[in-house]
Amino acid sequence: MGKQLVISVMSKDRPGIIADITTVIYDLGGDLADLNQSVLGGYFSMILIGEFDDKVTPEDLLAGFSHINSETKIEANIMEMAVSLETEKGKLPLETYVVTAQGENRKGLVKTMGDFFYSLNINVLDLVTTREKQVYTMIFQVDLGHISSMKAFRKELQDLATVESMNLVLQHNDIFMATNEVGTSSCSIIRN
Amino acid sequence: MLRSDQIMATVEMVQKENLDVRTVTMGINLLDCRAGSVKATCKRVEDKIAEYAHNFVPKCNEIASKFGIPVVNKRISVTPAALVGAGFDVDAFVLLAKSLDNAAARADVDILGGYTAHVEKGMTASDRALIESVPKALSVTERLCSSINVGSSQKGINMDAVAIMGETIKKLAEETAESGGFGAAKFVVFCNQPGDNPFMAGAIHGVEEADVVLNVGVSGPGVIARSLKKAINRIGKENLKLDDIAEEIKQITFRVTRCGELIGRQVSKELNVEFGVVDLSLAPTPKVGDSVGEILQILGVDDVGAPGSTAIVAMLNDAVKKGGIFASKAVGGLSGAFIPVMEDAVLAEAVGKGALSIEKLEAMTCVCSVGLDMVPIPGDVDAVTIAAIIADEMAIGMVNNKTTAARIIPVPGKKAGEVVSFGGLFGESPIMEVRNVNKSARFIAWGGRIPAPIHSFKN
Repeated sequence: MGKQLVISVMSKDRPGIIADITTVIYDLGGDLADLNQSVLGGYFSMILIGEFDDKVTPEDLLAGFSHINSETKIEANIMEMAVSLETEKGKLPLETYVVTAQGENRKGLVKTMGDFFYSLNINVLDLVTTREKQVYTMIFQVDLGHISSMKAFRKELQDLATVESMNLVLQHNDIFMATNEVGTSSCSIIRN
Repeated sequence: MLRSDQIMATVEMVQKENLDVRTVTMGINLLDCRAGSVKATCKRVEDKIAEYAHNFVPKCNEIASKFGIPVVNKRISVTPAALVGAGFDVDAFVLLAKSLDNAAARADVDILGGYTAHVEKGMTASDRALIESVPKALSVTERLCSSINVGSSQKGINMDAVAIMGETIKKLAEETAESGGFGAAKFVVFCNQPGDNPFMAGAIHGVEEADVVLNVGVSGPGVIARSLKKAINRIGKENLKLDDIAEEIKQITFRVTRCGELIGRQVSKELNVEFGVVDLSLAPTPKVGDSVGEILQILGVDDVGAPGSTAIVAMLNDAVKKGGIFASKAVGGLSGAFIPVMEDAVLAEAVGKGALSIEKLEAMTCVCSVGLDMVPIPGDVDAVTIAAIIADEMAIGMVNNKTTAARIIPVPGKKAGEVVSFGGLFGESPIMEVRNVNKSARFIAWGGRIPAPIHSFKN
């Protein structure tokens, strides 16, 4: 097996941008593994993992991306993966929770939550935020595997909610899976 | 991660719509507890319940805390006591009742069900002794509930037993007269009683079940009521038809059922106990905003009991089943909308306004679960009339191949229109008028059995 590269790309969105990027990867013999893509505020962003022959270098990819026509310059970052994809492909950690935070929009809300999780050494697995009128909503998927007392953690969250005038809700990730995933039965959600 | 709107919808269901798991009920087989003496049998009963249930309530609380979804009631059901105490006399059954009550207290559950006999075809001496013991057994215990199955679609209705039920209910109410006849609220008469129903007062651990199982009753009607209001606001009344509303109820029920099953299965896994079924029933509580009646009002009748109420209940019941059955791997129990008068503030209010009669309630029970439930009637209604009301309700279950039940409470010293209150989950209501009293004696006096209905040529 060759090397695995993590590639992140950002550009102004337009029809054909995915085709152009994946053509560069294909031409260099790359095999796509996991990929995540979204469009935010008219900007296209994609992060992917590709498997390449050892001789392919990040510079080869950057050179390929530089030839793509775009309204803005294609911003790309490429890093070699230290851990094999197979190892990383495990499911979500057992104690994955979702913290939803809502409050009146102001500067520093995400930083406040980020600082809070960092202070407790909590890894944020995923984050989505939206702003609707003046209400800012943040949804953090977090790994609480190392939290010894959920009661104490809930109390800390509640204290933060009071201090920051936010509505913070903590729910286990499995609840969301159970209530929203048609193809996932309760039996398959429950793990050892 | 899931879409943010899906996540926020679930968060709202838990936070604002008060999603909960209504009950987790541990069913325990007691058939192997029979010993050489009454005392030894009672001890074995208490020991077996303690063995399986000692960690039941703490574990439910722990899982509820982990998932952030409350488990409102933790209860125990046992093998019908008439089988456990086969050969016992009345006094011995009362001792067994006290042991069951002790066991419930030791396990820290508020209610234990299964002081039960199944007599739809005939009564053994033990069945008769248990039934005779019911007034005393329920008046000297706190947590015990009793149920008697007097009919089934396969065997017909045992009218001798129905006649005895009328007398038993009267005695039970009189034994507990100082609390408004509260004893009768812990006693229910069934047709087609299921062996895996987690809801009280009729929960039992059927003889067809494994040694120990966990059954779950999903969330109450409040979640559906608030979700419907929200959907109507969002989509607009003018853009919704009844089939759209039925679809909305199905989707809510799907989510609610998934939550209930997830938590039930997690508890069952951690207690190393087999998971039984999810009961999809909508069980109201007297709390404002937790009412089946409120759903009927949202769907278009100003008072429960007005024409259209039966049709709405039929639609609600069906939509709940459809959503829940798709969501769950194993559905059972009663699985329908309950309309217990005293436990549902909107139903009780309708009684007070004169909008809801026993006859209309009876009609509604033809299309929903479970029957004439928590119906307070004047204390001077005679036993024979009560038996005849029960017979009517049993006939509905027998012919329609469904479970029906009657939990009728003659309130000593009170008349129609006066209010009776039991507090807590048992609620309160104005007493319902019983019309045509003392006109059914010749019917009940026949005794014998109403034969089982034909099971083909259905139209």
